[in-house]
Amino acid sequence: MRGGDSREILVEMRGITKRFPNVLANDRVDFTLLRGEVHALLGENGAGKTTLMNILYGLYRLDEGEIRIKGRRVNIRSPRDAIRNGIGMVHQQFRLIPTHTVAENVILGLKEAGFYLNYSDINERLREIISFYGWNISPSARVWQLSAGEKQQVELLKALYRKADILILDEPTSVLTPQETTQLFATLRKMAGEGLGIILISHKLDEVMQVSDRVTVMRRGRVVATKPTRETNPNELANLMVGRPLITSFERLNKPSEKPILRVENLHVLDDKGLPAVRGVSFTIRRGEILGIAGVTGNGQQELAETIAGIRKAVSGKIILDDMDVTNKGSMFMIRQGVAYIPAESSKCVAYQMSVAENLVMKSFRYEPFSKSIVIDWNSIKQHAERLIDAFSIVTPSPNTRAGNLSGGNIQRLILARELTGLPGSSAPKLIIATYPTRGLDVAATEFVRRTLIQNRDQGAAILLVSEDLEEIMMLSDRIAVMYRGEIVGVLEQREFDVEVIGMMMTGAKRGEAA
Amino acid sequence: MRSALPLIRVQRRLEVPRRVSAAVSAVFILLSFAVAALIFELMGVSSIATFGVIASVFTNPNLLLQAILRGLPIGLAALGLSIAFRMNFWNIGAEGQLYMGMFAATGVVLLHEYQGLIAEPLVIVFMVLASFVAGGLYCALSAALKAKMGVNEVLTTLMLNYVAILFVDFLVYGPWRDPKGFNFPLSIQFPDYARLGFVMGSPSYEGLAMLLVVAFLVYGLMRHTTLGFEMRVVGESPEVAKHAGISYAKALIIGGFISGGLAGIAGFSVVSGIIGRLRPRASPGYGYTAIIVAFLALLNPWLIIPASIFFGGLIVAGDLIQASLKLPFAAVQIFQSIIFLFIIAGEFMKRYRIIVSWR
Repeated sequence: MRGGDSREILVEMRGITKRFPNVLANDRVDFTLLRGEVHALLGENGAGKTTLMNILYGLYRLDEGEIRIKGRRVNIRSPRDAIRNGIGMVHQQFRLIPTHTVAENVILGLKEAGFYLNYSDINERLREIISFYGWNISPSARVWQLSAGEKQQVELLKALYRKADILILDEPTSVLTPQETTQLFATLRKMAGEGLGIILISHKLDEVMQVSDRVTVMRRGRVVATKPTRETNPNELANLMVGRPLITSFERLNKPSEKPILRVENLHVLDDKGLPAVRGVSFTIRRGEILGIAGVTGNGQQELAETIAGIRKAVSGKIILDDMDVTNKGSMFMIRQGVAYIPAESSKCVAYQMSVAENLVMKSFRYEPFSKSIVIDWNSIKQHAERLIDAFSIVTPSPNTRAGNLSGGNIQRLILARELTGLPGSSAPKLIIATYPTRGLDVAATEFVRRTLIQNRDQGAAILLVSEDLEEIMMLSDRIAVMYRGEIVGVLEQREFDVEVIGMMMTGAKRGEAA
Repeated sequence: MRSALPLIRVQRRLEVPRRVSAAVSAVFILLSFAVAALIFELMGVSSIATFGVIASVFTNPNLLLQAILRGLPIGLAALGLSIAFRMNFWNIGAEGQLYMGMFAATGVVLLHEYQGLIAEPLVIVFMVLASFVAGGLYCALSAALKAKMGVNEVLTTLMLNYVAILFVDFLVYGPWRDPKGFNFPLSIQFPDYARLGFVMGSPSYEGLAMLLVVAFLVYGLMRHTTLGFEMRVVGESPEVAKHAGISYAKALIIGGFISGGLAGIAGFSVVSGIIGRLRPRASPGYGYTAIIVAFLALLNPWLIIPASIFFGGLIVAGDLIQASLKLPFAAVQIFQSIIFLFIIAGEFMKRYRIIVSWR
């Protein structure tokens, strides 16, 4: 398919500078991509790696610097220009139309396809690519029927069909199971073998070590190093990325007590479409214990968490908090009982147009001192905000800044600050439901979130941790329950933790079969 | 291959600097004046003379009082809409809620005249209250349908406009027709004590005071009460509200009630302040103009006052242009519509850039 000199320079970005109001997102960045390599772009959120790639893909315009593609100087003003130059990008959120077929999604927006669509030709070419990479999708399948990993393959297919030879992947593994990740990496190696140049944006060190040929580390808008991957190691990369060594394991100070805080009994819940999402789930969490729920997204974890938080109604079954039946009591009641909920998507709990201070009292604004009868006391809200901004190191120009202007990591700090503080006059939360609390966060913010959860555990909170990140769930949990199609297929004690076993159970294998 | 046609592409701006935003607004308002001038010239009227008349509305004190009076229903309805829009409740029904307000206010007068139920000095108080409740309930109906059954409020509020307008038609053509009115479809003329201006002597003064008080209350409600806080959270997203333990339905229905209530009071201001009786089609679309005013003022209660007076002034200017320059009323409507159109086009230009290239 493709040949040529494997050392040809595909992309050369020189002195790229991009300013946003008050922020220097890219500061004289140099970056090169060679033909046939997987080049990891490593850095924390806000380090400027996505900005750099958005410039290459024409989503942002550079303020200074120049870009050469295959030696020719180019001016990329839009994604269309980028595609014309052979650049393809797979975004973190898939840009696919669920009700359309794979083939329709691939040719969407493609002028070359012409007015009359010859689907048999299109499908044939798609099948060629699919079978070459050993995938298992059909061009005529509807996208909504596909799993996350398969949707990602459609995104890759889009780029390959357009004959892209420069491929940018933004955090591609954040939505995948371990098995899907392995398959993706095999695909990437094969693509590199075909002579494509691949840029992998990531903040996960193990992935970078596993799949890349070279790695460029960015910190605060600058490139701090570019190295061949085999000449470096995870510790060095972490140091380069964060500027200091990281905490990777947590000491357990005290044993969880025997007192159960939360008991869930035979719980049944429906999803938004009215289909069974949680099917007869039972478990217990004790004081000072973290129960991890592992599973591929969409197996009922979301609905389970929402039901315990009082946001979704249970069809049957019981939720017992501290010996009190709290089934279907509503979110206000659960908030008053000291239940903190950290949803998977910040859009479900943060009002982006409202200020940081307003977001921080979103659950407590009805209580003194934040309001008296119906009149809000802005002074005490502002003081409260300043305290929490300080305590949780939220980086914001002021308490009055719109929450939507904060970075992802700071939004997560804001959520933690609000959820873990509790109502005025009450103590720390009794039960914390944390769903994907570190998804999309950089290394420092992830560490902060994990440390905060551990602190709360040590102070006696019961924690329900839903995550797809097996490394995280194994690091933090005392026990792990694996969910598949709305049921718990098994519960593992800490000494039984094993990535392979959990990975198998996530695809429905019962415990015995998996081990 | 060289094409003879230029390639026009529309590209989204990712960042909209404030300078661009202000410059685009200014350019588009000037453009709308230029296009309006062209149309006036085509109609054989001096555009300078026309703009002179329009400007005179805002410089001549007597005409300015007229502008305030005509701006009063627009402003009251727009203040109500600013609450609904902040909740992401797309109330297109201010016109209908305004008609329900006119109906209720007139009803109070009739109860007094025919049944003698209400004492004279209290009539105007009851008119305001009744029009608020009538407009409020009318809007709360759509809010409840949305909150409980997910019915799109744009459809219900818009369609209920026609119901309200025809209901008022029915009343003045039927049971509420003035028995001494030579069979014209008009209610009886309101007595003085049911007219705005009864206290201060001029409906414009009382109207301006009303606007200021209501703007103050709306600002206070949204900014300084827990209810306003809840309504702003609801406007962000129902999910966020649920997460924070806020009842989406309750906030939406109460907010909808207040929004419609203010449109109802706008209806009161039409029958009590401007016309002095109920007649069919008593509002030339104040409730629709209020939508534009609310957006033009960026939903800010204080900015709504000058914006509504500006549009009230355009209505007054329309009357003057008809009389002095012999232009049809349609010419004024064209002028207003051009301003609306250019404001909307300006919003588009703020968000997108257009690139023309020859290749």
